[in-house]
Amino acid sequence: MPAYKLTYFNGRGSAEIVRLAFAAGGIEYEDVRLERDQWPDLKPNTPMGQVPILEVDGTMLCQSNSIARYVAKQAGLAGKTPLEQARVDMIMDGMEEMGRKGYAAYFEKNEDIKAERTKEYEETFLPQFFTFLNKLVGDSGHFVGNELTLADITFFNMATLVGTWMKLPDVDEFSGLKKVMEHVTSNPGLAKWLKERPETPF
Amino acid sequence: MPTYKLTCFNVRGRAELIRLLFAAGEIPYEDVRIEWDKWPELKPISDTPMGQIPTLEVDGQVICQSMAIARFVAGKAGLLGKTNMDQARADMLLDGGMDVGKLFTEMVMEKDASKKAEKKKEFGEKHLPPFLALYEGFAGDNGHFVGDSLTWSDIGFFNMMDFITAEYPGALDGYCKLNKVIDNVKSNPGVAKWLKERPVTNH
Repeated sequence: MPAYKLTYFNGRGSAEIVRLAFAAGGIEYEDVRLERDQWPDLKPNTPMGQVPILEVDGTMLCQSNSIARYVAKQAGLAGKTPLEQARVDMIMDGMEEMGRKGYAAYFEKNEDIKAERTKEYEETFLPQFFTFLNKLVGDSGHFVGNELTLADITFFNMATLVGTWMKLPDVDEFSGLKKVMEHVTSNPGLAKWLKERPETPF
Repeated sequence: MPTYKLTCFNVRGRAELIRLLFAAGEIPYEDVRIEWDKWPELKPISDTPMGQIPTLEVDGQVICQSMAIARFVAGKAGLLGKTNMDQARADMLLDGGMDVGKLFTEMVMEKDASKKAEKKKEFGEKHLPPFLALYEGFAGDNGHFVGDSLTWSDIGFFNMMDFITAEYPGALDGYCKLNKVIDNVKSNPGVAKWLKERPVTNH
């Protein structure tokens, strides 16, 4: 059994998807949370000067989605066939876009541009995007196949994150997405982590 | 033998990595190209999972998101990396490349001429050199980023530099290992054939 060490700041941020993947897979790992003053010393020793990083038996990985995909494979959450894996990837990438657009609106400094972007995001983009996503959910209540995958977990994680910045469409109005959320929050490993994870501002 | 149909605009753009991977794997596919002005009428009726192209149709199923498609084709071509860890390292290097590629694309697409000149200077002086120095460190002496054979991270790097060197011609001068990566990609028979035959487009 390899030793996994995840390093990030003391927050959910871009590391949380990795923590959720470990939790859903029931895989133990060291969850290192940096204080701000520890970062300057670590930074030059990371592959690309960023966190999160995952150390696995001496090898270092960076880039949160690449790490998440690796952990998902170890946990059996990456999709069972190449085509299923492509569908998981597609959902992850789509959610990443949703996150990026939301970030660009919420953190925009110019008030006028921020208001414009927020309006477009909340009134046009999100309803359309949720409609597309809802159609991608199978009868099983999962995005891919009949079991939990990283795609379901990513939807939960990104929607929760963006929901702290922006007004999301009501998930109850999207029967497929509602089922995905229920599957995620009722997974034993995830339910335990969601109850126990540190409360942090981000 | 499954059938593959790739649909994208008539550009290299986000689909070119996919096309290079089909070529490297010598996998036949239908390369459908939509003109920009046709897209608005096609979009509402197109069978796209998220209202965007490129899409890949594989035996009736439709996948979108260019990197998801590229990873799938890389898998079919045997170019993902041999172990889960190799695959994760290939993913990581491609993600890092895309972070920089995004800045490059923003510069290229900037419509205001003076803003564009400013962005071009900034990219060329502030973002590109550290990226190349970093990736020279990642590349092996064998001219591969991961393991000892061609992977899609080599091809992704080649593709990105193909765009970047069009704006910054001497960018790769002096980077021995990166130039080896480029050579390894260009001398792959399928890739070499595609580079000779592919449609010439502005983007």
